[in-house]
Amino acid sequence: MEKVASECPARRVTKLRATALRRAFGACVDRLAEKMADMTEKIQNYRTAPFDARFPNTNQTRNCYQNYLDYHRCNKALAAKGLDVSPCDWYQRVFKSLCPVGWVEKWNDQVENGTFAGRV
Amino acid sequence: MFKLIFQQTKKHPTLIPQFFFMVLGMGGATFYLMRLARGPHISWDRKNNPEPWNRLSPTYQYKLVAVNTDYKSLKKEGPDF
Repeated sequence: MEKVASECPARRVTKLRATALRRAFGACVDRLAEKMADMTEKIQNYRTAPFDARFPNTNQTRNCYQNYLDYHRCNKALAAKGLDVSPCDWYQRVFKSLCPVGWVEKWNDQVENGTFAGRV
Repeated sequence: MFKLIFQQTKKHPTLIPQFFFMVLGMGGATFYLMRLARGPHISWDRKNNPEPWNRLSPTYQYKLVAVNTDYKSLKKEGPDF
């Protein structure tokens, strides 16, 4: 399971004034916004799935499956946090490049029915 | 068993290369099997460590010998979540 990156550390904010909030969370929110902008740019410049060191061999089945899982987990995690889910599109582009269309359709049906075997 | 091997080798010293290559071969095979078994592409413990390949840095080298890949410049591609 990917380590959930807590970009903005949970801080106790006693005062709810804007200045206090900005002081507590300002820097990390800027970093998050920058990362999101980088991600959207990366998705726009996408050509094909990049080399993934976790799957260096010819058999890329697991690469396809892992990205499919990551896409659904990312959607779930970001939606639970209330953030914008568009960075997760990276994973969708990757698995759409790698996976056979039949597999993707079969898995999508299984996810809809609730019979998908993986942990999403 | 080793005493028997030793006695037989003294009688027929031509057995020495036989034993040497057998040890080399079996030892090498076992070593590589253990290396594969301990590798991060196998998930032995599905409850506590389900996907060990996700816990490594993107520059981790999986292969024994990597000729063309520049591992130092790889980074994590997808967004964190």
